[in-house]
Amino acid sequence: MELTDSTVDRLRHVVALPDLTGTRYELESQIGRGGTGVVYAARDRQLNRPVAVKVFDFPLPGEAQLIAQLEHPAVVPIYESGTLADGRSFYAMKRVVGEPLDRYVAKSPSLAERLRVIRRVGEALAFAHSRGVIHRDLKPQNVMVGEFGQVYVMDWGVDAVAGTPAFRAPEPELDQRSDIYALGLLFQFLLPKAPPHALRAIANKATRRDPDDRYPTVYEFLADIERFQEGLPVEAWSEPFWHRARRFGSRNALLLWLFAAYASVKFLLFFLRSV
Amino acid sequence: MDSDTGIGGPAGKFPSTDLSLLAAVNGELSQLALGQVVSLYWKPVYCFIRLKFRKNNEDAKDLTQSFFTMAVQRDFFRGFDPRRAPFRTYVRMAIDRFAANQLAAQKRQKRGGDVEFEQLDENLASTESPEQAFEREWRRQLFALAVDDLRAHCLVSKKTLQFDVFEAYDLTGPERPSYSELAARHRIPETSVTNYLAWARRMLRAFVTQQLRSVTSGEGELRKELRRLWS
Repeated sequence: MELTDSTVDRLRHVVALPDLTGTRYELESQIGRGGTGVVYAARDRQLNRPVAVKVFDFPLPGEAQLIAQLEHPAVVPIYESGTLADGRSFYAMKRVVGEPLDRYVAKSPSLAERLRVIRRVGEALAFAHSRGVIHRDLKPQNVMVGEFGQVYVMDWGVDAVAGTPAFRAPEPELDQRSDIYALGLLFQFLLPKAPPHALRAIANKATRRDPDDRYPTVYEFLADIERFQEGLPVEAWSEPFWHRARRFGSRNALLLWLFAAYASVKFLLFFLRSV
Repeated sequence: MDSDTGIGGPAGKFPSTDLSLLAAVNGELSQLALGQVVSLYWKPVYCFIRLKFRKNNEDAKDLTQSFFTMAVQRDFFRGFDPRRAPFRTYVRMAIDRFAANQLAAQKRQKRGGDVEFEQLDENLASTESPEQAFEREWRRQLFALAVDDLRAHCLVSKKTLQFDVFEAYDLTGPERPSYSELAARHRIPETSVTNYLAWARRMLRAFVTQQLRSVTSGEGELRKELRRLWS
């Protein structure tokens, strides 16, 4: 049969749409495509609420169960999983109102705000690692920042997903340290154009080629960021003396001012006495 | 220049898959599988040759036929390594090399004379690259074969009404009938129209997958090709 270009395009479109017959969901629009399937905006007819439905290209029943294990404020909760009439697996989850990290960064948030986001992502990752789950595909498009500042890590990977090349660790076998590599790249992406040396060093340490040279756990990565925020030296960088002195100065500004005032008074008194 | 026809020639038909041509093939790629490859790739290869090497209809058909003959004789498909590229890309690169070699040989025969390139007709002289035309024709052929499978399945399983509804709604031009018009035309409830459409689309998806499965090296390549097709 000879088909026109427009008919082929139409067939590609209608055949790709999920058949939600027999479910409680009504299709609204496509939200995006992930490594394993497509996410659609839908409405739960029974509860009359918006949901997101992820439909897999192929049977991948493990992903819903995997995410369901991760009850964490930064992991989008799963409502239901199942198989569609067309044989594809799906799961329904909370529909997050917000924007992906790449769009969020384009709005030039403050450094403190950027650090808050990366810490939230890191906490979710550390929690997942403690449950034996690795993400495998961490990238800006898989992190959503909600309208009230909530941070969600999306699209938790399964074995079939090899990761996005730009954010994929160089080692062939992915493990928790590969997630740390992707987290480091995400951190680099999140940092402003001229970041403080210490933060750049943290990102560099997380993205070393050799997994053994990276932070062994996400907790240690987070601890280094926390040290920076508290004005302490970070493990990833042995800072030069002048830098240490400046950091000491900024951390103890009040004390130094008091000392300077005391020394000035002392000097004045000494001067007056000697006159 | 003679114009292209629906399937590539004045006779109105591409040569059907010549099974004797495939008889030489043995080993991993069965005759049936090779037949699938030829039926899916004939038109894309033909279009690619016409656009890239500016051949007329008959020459392009000859070159296409020669390519598939060579592919069988030299066991060409066995050289495919799925780790390096999808089968689709492998075929396209092979036809590129093959046609270039053939044309170089012609040129040598003419003792330094240039190969004559013909003007393309308006239908083919588009802004589309030969590679894009190859992809487009490949998709078209894939869906055409899957629609044929669906029609045959409907005939066998006595579901011609379902196919008629699908054909009227999804295979026509932009001015498709409404659900109520289709319901009135076939004297069925509107809900049956939507159910028939959903069923036919579901089946078509399965037939597309089946077609692709027969010309890919395994689940990994199949998944990549399907993802590419739907996105």
